[in-house]
Amino acid sequence: MPESIPASLIIDTLKDTFREARAARAAEGWGPSPHEHLGWILSVPDTHQKTVLAALDKEQAIRVLTCATEDEACTIAAGLHAGGEPVVLMIQHAGLYASVNTLRGVAMDGKVPVFYMIGLLQREKDKDPKESRHSMVRYCEPLLDTFSVPHARLEGPNDVHLIPEYYRLSRQRRGPTAVLVGLETS
Amino acid sequence: MAMKPEEVLRVIQAARGNAICIPTMTTGPAWRDIAPDDLSAGCVGFMGGASSLGLGLALARPERRVIVFDGDGSLLMQLGSLATIAGARPRNLLHLLFKNGVYHTSGSQEIPGGLTVDFVTMARGAGYKTALAIGELDDFKRRLPQLLTAEGPIFVELHTTLADQTPMTAGGGSPFHQQMERLRTKLLTANAFTERIKTGE
Repeated sequence: MPESIPASLIIDTLKDTFREARAARAAEGWGPSPHEHLGWILSVPDTHQKTVLAALDKEQAIRVLTCATEDEACTIAAGLHAGGEPVVLMIQHAGLYASVNTLRGVAMDGKVPVFYMIGLLQREKDKDPKESRHSMVRYCEPLLDTFSVPHARLEGPNDVHLIPEYYRLSRQRRGPTAVLVGLETS
Repeated sequence: MAMKPEEVLRVIQAARGNAICIPTMTTGPAWRDIAPDDLSAGCVGFMGGASSLGLGLALARPERRVIVFDGDGSLLMQLGSLATIAGARPRNLLHLLFKNGVYHTSGSQEIPGGLTVDFVTMARGAGYKTALAIGELDDFKRRLPQLLTAEGPIFVELHTTLADQTPMTAGGGSPFHQQMERLRTKLLTANAFTERIKTGE
């Protein structure tokens, strides 16, 4: 059975992920970042991850930029990446559906490493997402499969290691990757 | 009297210094000729994304000016980006809107509202630091130096004619991923060079 993941655990994991990304950036030859924070979260607020977003409001080490649409978030991420800044997108599945052309045109065709954390709002605790009675839960993984976007489920606290792994994978394959947040964070 | 986009772009090229430029749709072919092999990435295939790509670059590289060459049809596709940009407050972003009232690339169909749409009011209402319209090339030439140095985000609605070419008629140009990779490499190289000077290596 899936379990809720505490916001603090996700934020600590994101900090570690950004620290690793900063080190990789330095190894690539970039000088010190012009920013004091470790990295950027581009968010179109997701009900499923609202405790994380609330905790990030008080967090100095990570800068959150709220975007009007997921299209914007994906394209802003491309610009931040081109300028040498580490970035993570936090959206919900409905936003993924809304921004499919940008996923294709920017992240895939542009070979931009865009790492998504996607909340599966209304996912039933006792059901596999593919068997959900809600189409927005049911179609998320098949959609990512259609576009050959590697993805994994965050089904509980033991899965947070997938955040740095899939972030790294997006860099290695120069394209989008995603983790799906199974239950509302706590 | 509306301005020729190509003339506007030549004025920008002469004054931009090391600014990053993000053309979209009909400014793309002309910009490739006017400023070949430079700090640019053109947006084709994800219409409406130029302002967001420019915002990301402006946030990542606050030491450089970033100039977006947007289109009116393009901006309408992601109009919310005005609020996102204003909220992010990039001091180094100059958002130029080439307004011609039509979707030139797809056959010059009129955009919703045509030329009556007032983007200056929208940008101002969204919270841009400055928003204005310019319709004469001499006026643009006169104002550009200040637009390139004043605190942003700045929005300028440029009243223009149709460009000579569209991405469809011009063809050519590098794929987006090559442009992005080239831009990133140039920014990295320039950044590393600056750091070497700072540290005296």
